[in-house]
Amino acid sequence: MRTTVASRSSSSAFMRFCRDYGWAYLFILAPVLLFLVFTLYPVISALIMSFQHYNPMNTTWIGLNNYKTLFQDDVFWKSMRNTVIFTIGTVPVNIVITFVLSYFIFQMKNSWQTLFKATLYLPTVASGVTLSIVWIAIYDPTSTGLINRFLGLFGIDPVIWLGQSSTALFSLMLMNWLGSHGAGIILYLAAMGGIPKSLYEAADIDHASGWTKFARITWPLLKPTTLYLLVTGVITSFQVFISVYLMTHGGPNFATTTIAYLIYDTAFKFYDFGLASAQSFVLAIMIIIVSVIQFKFLSSDVEY
Amino acid sequence: MARVEFRNVRKEFHDQQKGTFTAVEGSDFVINDKEFVVFVGPSGCGKTTSLRMIAGLEHQSSGDIIIGDRVVNNLHPKDRDIAMVFQDYALYPHMTIRENLSFGLRNLKKPKAYIEQKVQEAASILDLESMLERKPRELSGGQRQRVAVGRAIVRDPQVFLFDEPLSNLDAKLRIQMRVELAELHKRLGATIVYVTHDQVEAMTLGERIVVMNKGAIQQIASPTELYAKPRNMFVAGFIGSPAMNFMDAELDGNRVLVNGTVLELPESMLSSSLADYDKKKVILGIRPEDIYGEDFVQNVKVEGKMTTSVQVVEHLGSENLVYFQVGERSVTAKVHPETKAYVGLEKTFILDLGKVHFFDPETEMRISD
Ligand SMILES: Nc1ncnc2c1ncn2[C@@H]1O[C@H](COP(=O)(O)OP(=O)(O)O)[C@@H](O)[C@H]1O
Ligand SMILES: [Mg+2]
Repeated sequence: MRTTVASRSSSSAFMRFCRDYGWAYLFILAPVLLFLVFTLYPVISALIMSFQHYNPMNTTWIGLNNYKTLFQDDVFWKSMRNTVIFTIGTVPVNIVITFVLSYFIFQMKNSWQTLFKATLYLPTVASGVTLSIVWIAIYDPTSTGLINRFLGLFGIDPVIWLGQSSTALFSLMLMNWLGSHGAGIILYLAAMGGIPKSLYEAADIDHASGWTKFARITWPLLKPTTLYLLVTGVITSFQVFISVYLMTHGGPNFATTTIAYLIYDTAFKFYDFGLASAQSFVLAIMIIIVSVIQFKFLSSDVEY
Repeated sequence: MARVEFRNVRKEFHDQQKGTFTAVEGSDFVINDKEFVVFVGPSGCGKTTSLRMIAGLEHQSSGDIIIGDRVVNNLHPKDRDIAMVFQDYALYPHMTIRENLSFGLRNLKKPKAYIEQKVQEAASILDLESMLERKPRELSGGQRQRVAVGRAIVRDPQVFLFDEPLSNLDAKLRIQMRVELAELHKRLGATIVYVTHDQVEAMTLGERIVVMNKGAIQQIASPTELYAKPRNMFVAGFIGSPAMNFMDAELDGNRVLVNGTVLELPESMLSSSLADYDKKKVILGIRPEDIYGEDFVQNVKVEGKMTTSVQVVEHLGSENLVYFQVGERSVTAKVHPETKAYVGLEKTFILDLGKVHFFDPETEMRISD
């Protein structure tokens, strides 16, 4: 017997620890492993890849070359511009539409509220692919397309919505305006319901007009919701991909190429994984910077 | 200038599931200028609804409401020249205390200097000066309550409406704020309508008290009168703590028969209306503080003796509560702490017969004296 007293007691302490907390750590292990394997590992290897000329047979370290290429690439800048235009053109518009819809739905009776909530939520649960296919039909460039037929009533010639650079990006934005309000409406309605009625009664007694009540009570108290929708909206919009991929393939003449689509193109058409990784990192950093700025500017007087 | 009057006001709520519900019925009262009137009654009796009808936040189903010398039936809350302190205070959470206080005046487009002065005034009256730049959530319950009062003060309204303003405060703070509100009333000389379910609050604050039950006004009177001459058994039981005791009794000339005990009424208690109940059943009411242990009687002119066994004794320090049974009913006596009493003791209690009340067992109304 060479086991010392100390080691025996420490091993029994370990046993006791396992008995008391073993299950807890086992359960924690599962999500931690998932995170390590499917999030942290890809991120780190993408970061490494972005400094490499990636080739399954012969990968070489090229330092910042991918980033240099990227910043000298006109298509990258164009896709950056498209992404920013798309974001500025959709996110605020969507928030306004969502807000107005919520504002009216909120005044309705319960049963009507349910109907509108369900209807407006449908596009949110429908797959992006389905929606894109529907919109391809709506934007059909021949005179049988839904919009073109409608314009035809006023004698306007058919427009090649998705096929010309002047209208393609706008068409994608229009589709976005009309689709994605369900989740936002649910959030706004919950937030509106959370404002105590007595605040409005106090305001009534305080001589507040309808507009004052809206501007000084409703809107400020909904600011956390608006901020949330803004930040998540910008993040989603920076990554817009499905509709571009299915409806325009980034064309015509890169008019609808967004960063996410460019990354896809670089990686899976040109198999330049190093450059694609570099593009991904630029996108990620942009998203982080923009989110931080939004929080800084908007959250200063937000009441949580 | 600012009296408040209800003329036969009625309020019904219509609910798809529960049907029509009458929250306030045949409400008639006059609150005089500069008077502090308290509405009191159990929860759900229609106090808040009455107050909200004065404010114009709820529209009466029928009847007239008069503030000052105007019928305000169809006036919007802002045109009624009233200010209200809500039970949950309803402070604007995203505004500073200064903004909360000035919100109403700014909506009225008053000059900046005037608003500034009014806010300072209110802040100094209510001791809020150091907190003007804070948000409501950074304030304690008592401070928030004062901000709510301040928001009312700055507007110089004709009538102040308070809806259970102290119910969210702890006991100690409640007593302190009660004193402050009473002082504030003297200082402002304003008409105040104050709603509470707490009869102690009502008795201490109100110059007159409106007792309500199930949507109907039971009695309007000063605290002393409510205590001395409750108009019916509801008021008698509601005002005073512990509540008034009731015993089933039968009148026989100047004698009352209670559960086999004969009590001889003093001359002062006899009246012509009581005479109408001769040989009939009545309800005898007596307050716990008018019952004494035989060994500790104080200032009782006409004694009624009743011997029974003690069921429960509660020691409150300054007094003891002794419970015993009379017929079917439990009776409480509030006695001097040195009165001998323990469970099971056969004890003779002395009833102060000069202070008993009689009620009709059918109508539950007071038999006047
Ligand atoms: N908006 C409403 N709709 C339906 N019933 C109501 C409404 N407001 C109050 N009531 C009912 O009217 C009665 C009196 O309410 P209230 O005046 O708030 O009582 P309280 O004396 O406790 O302040 C209650 O039974 C309440 O349920
Ligand atoms: Mg109430």
